[in-house]
Amino acid sequence: MAEADHGHRCGRTDETMTNFILRRLGQSIILLLIMSVLVFAGMYVISDPVAVMAGEDATEADRQALARSFGLDQPLPIQYLTFLGKIVQGDFGTSFVYGRPVLALIFERLPATLEVVFLAILVGLAVGIPLGIYSGLNRKKAPTKVISFGTTVGYSIPNFWQALLFILVFAVWLRVLPASGRGPTTEIFGVGWSVFNAEGLRYVILPAANLAVALICMQTRLARSGTQEVMYQDYMMFARAKGIARSRLIGRHLLRNILIPIVTITGLELGTLIAFSTVTETVFSWPGIGKLLLDSIYRSDRPVVVAYMILATLMFVLINLVADIIYAILDPRIRYS
Amino acid sequence: MMAPLLAIEDLSIAYQLGDGRDAEAISGFSLHLERGRIVGIVGQSGAGKSTIGKAILGLMGDNARITGGTIALDGTDITRFSEARFAAIRGKRIGYIYQNPMTALNPVLSIGEQLIEAIEANTTRRGGDARAYAVELLKSAEVTHAEERLAKYPHQLSGGLCQRIVFAIAIAAQPDLIIADEPTTALDVTVQKAVLATLKKLAREKQISIVLITHDMGVVAQMCDGVSVLWRGRLVEHGPTAQVIGAPRERYTRDLMAAIPTVDHKRARFDVLDSFEDTPGRRRGIAFLKSGIAAGRDGQSLLSIRNLSKTFDAQGGRGTSGGFRALDGVAFEVFAGETLGIVGESGSGKSTIGRAILGLVEPDAGASIAFQGRPIAEMRGRRDRVALSRSLQCIFQDPYSSLNPRMNAGTNITYGIVAQGLVSRAEAKVLAQDLLEVVGLPRAAAGKMPHAFSGGERQRIGIARALAFRPELIFCDEPTSALDVTVQAEILNLMKELQETLGLTLVFVSHDLAVVRQMCDRVIVMRAGRMVEEGNADEVLTAPRETYTRDLLAAMPRIAFEDA
Repeated sequence: MAEADHGHRCGRTDETMTNFILRRLGQSIILLLIMSVLVFAGMYVISDPVAVMAGEDATEADRQALARSFGLDQPLPIQYLTFLGKIVQGDFGTSFVYGRPVLALIFERLPATLEVVFLAILVGLAVGIPLGIYSGLNRKKAPTKVISFGTTVGYSIPNFWQALLFILVFAVWLRVLPASGRGPTTEIFGVGWSVFNAEGLRYVILPAANLAVALICMQTRLARSGTQEVMYQDYMMFARAKGIARSRLIGRHLLRNILIPIVTITGLELGTLIAFSTVTETVFSWPGIGKLLLDSIYRSDRPVVVAYMILATLMFVLINLVADIIYAILDPRIRYS
Repeated sequence: MMAPLLAIEDLSIAYQLGDGRDAEAISGFSLHLERGRIVGIVGQSGAGKSTIGKAILGLMGDNARITGGTIALDGTDITRFSEARFAAIRGKRIGYIYQNPMTALNPVLSIGEQLIEAIEANTTRRGGDARAYAVELLKSAEVTHAEERLAKYPHQLSGGLCQRIVFAIAIAAQPDLIIADEPTTALDVTVQKAVLATLKKLAREKQISIVLITHDMGVVAQMCDGVSVLWRGRLVEHGPTAQVIGAPRERYTRDLMAAIPTVDHKRARFDVLDSFEDTPGRRRGIAFLKSGIAAGRDGQSLLSIRNLSKTFDAQGGRGTSGGFRALDGVAFEVFAGETLGIVGESGSGKSTIGRAILGLVEPDAGASIAFQGRPIAEMRGRRDRVALSRSLQCIFQDPYSSLNPRMNAGTNITYGIVAQGLVSRAEAKVLAQDLLEVVGLPRAAAGKMPHAFSGGERQRIGIARALAFRPELIFCDEPTSALDVTVQAEILNLMKELQETLGLTLVFVSHDLAVVRQMCDRVIVMRAGRMVEEGNADEVLTAPRETYTRDLLAAMPRIAFEDA
């Protein structure tokens, strides 16, 4: 009985999520190590920090003393291990400009970025997916053509120009929303958030909308192409033939399948936005980490830049891990292979 | 007299083409089906069989519409039904069984969810009650371990099991009618037989009528009370199964029957029209092939395989002795000028043998594959490799994906030999045209792109491409299983023709015993990676020694030919 045997061959269905997550974490650690080598190389090998710190009129003895005090007289591998050891202990060094621990500096600015980015992502998904499914299902209807045109335009507008346009329309002409800065914050778990009070929310809207436009366009396109592909699959016709409700056909059979690519892209996009929303944060003078990065590059505040790069990598790794886990939850073919 | 359950009268369906014109897909089709009966609709692909099935369910695409006639279900014409009214009868009154069970089920939803949603949509059962009923349905569809299967996903189950689950979904609301569109085409013969028996049992027990759409006359003979033969959208002939199969009245039905290979006797040629004209180009092509394919070495061992095993690592199974043994101690010889058949069900390892010979999988240690006396494991240098790939060619199963869609037919045929420097670019052009004539296509076909050809024509191009190398041995991997029976007959005739003219050596892999019987001198029967039986094709396929071979033969749907 070939059929019965097959069932047993696939009996190892308990190759569990835990295993999968552990395997992925292992890979992530390797990736982080590689990144730390690159950042270390960038920081200590390509340029000479002693020369920068000591200035032009320092004597040779001054330089040696300086090098010794920063451990720069040690062989390279030892220096790398020291650098790594400090990072593992959470010590990313001290900012040249602010004279404070870099980590505290970044975490202080992080909530401002997070609230704008998450709001934008939520709006992007909540608006983009329904629009995309609608236009995928009704290819010939007029609204689809409008949506299609709108996404093309929205995707092509340069981010900074769109931001200026928003300020012009909503802050200057209509005077309904503030043009820049972050409004009052509400303390939740010791962190200040401005999305949780009405006045603060008014300040979040424009920067979040500026990020959301491109996201909506992208999600619409992903959902539309997914819908067009999935609707022609045999299982969609078979599901219709079963006589199930249309809401179930769309909400379950279609959505589950189109979410798979959307999750992957959203994960990547989330990381990029958190780490590199520098344009939006600059135009709206939004005190997030993107603006911190830009300021630090201007002022050659290298400890901040280095810590930023490593944390960004760590964040990308974690977001990817979460995306992969969601992916595996959505697609049993990944989960059980 | 009670009205029949399903009465199709003078049905016509047209597809709208890109330029706004209509192309008639079905014209004037009629069918009557009584309660509890099974009627077959047969015909080649493109004949419009599936279109009729979809029209009954209101599942035709946006570009198709009914241009005339009626489809009455219990006296009610459903051709003008709205989507909502169709939704009300789908699943409840009409069940649907789809061609490929692996693609009919949603890959990301569990079996249980897909079965239970059908139950909840079409019956009054909810929650735990629906779940209990789902288990009951799976049991009546003869699904083993019914309870456990609910938590599985389609990719974890075999095709046969998936099809049984599709059955369970189709019968969930005890419909009056089931449309079964090629329900067993994707399955192995032994599985096919069991699955069809289950379908017939369900229909009898629950008094369900079935419209069985198929291209396989054997399935019709096994299942149907009556049969309608469809050709290019028109009803050619209909009547009781025994009459249509036993004494077909129409020319087309007779041709269709003549094209069916049987395992019981071997025919020199199928009785279909072949289009070989003795043109100068064709003669030149054959002379080219003959001069390169060393004939006259009949009986000499060409390929010798000893102790061929292949174990695929079970994923994640590190540290265990497990792993999937795809091949286990296979040994055989291929002699020049013969056709060796390798038969077996899917998973028996027959394709893996081919991949090992072509060097696409690395066999386990201890295996020896020698070509013309030299172990191919030693042929590692570039010159050896090129010589080997010239000598060993392959004809693939799927004529749609095995040609490069961005090259025209002529380039598809010759790019390999040009790349190997066997012919110059200038010679290649004429050669491609000659070879097209050798395989029965016009010279002008060389300039057309693959998508402009039918499946059978593409397979001819694939054959021409393999021949162009003038190989010592051609490995044919299910070369006709994707083709219609009449097209299959044409291709088999062509291969027999070439075999005789050129003295080709073929290794012919197929799941179809009847095809193997028509083509092969010797045959190897594979099961789960092992050779079960080996011998003269006539003997093995008429008087098998092994039980497994007998089971395989018994599982084949057969048609009682008067002359057999």
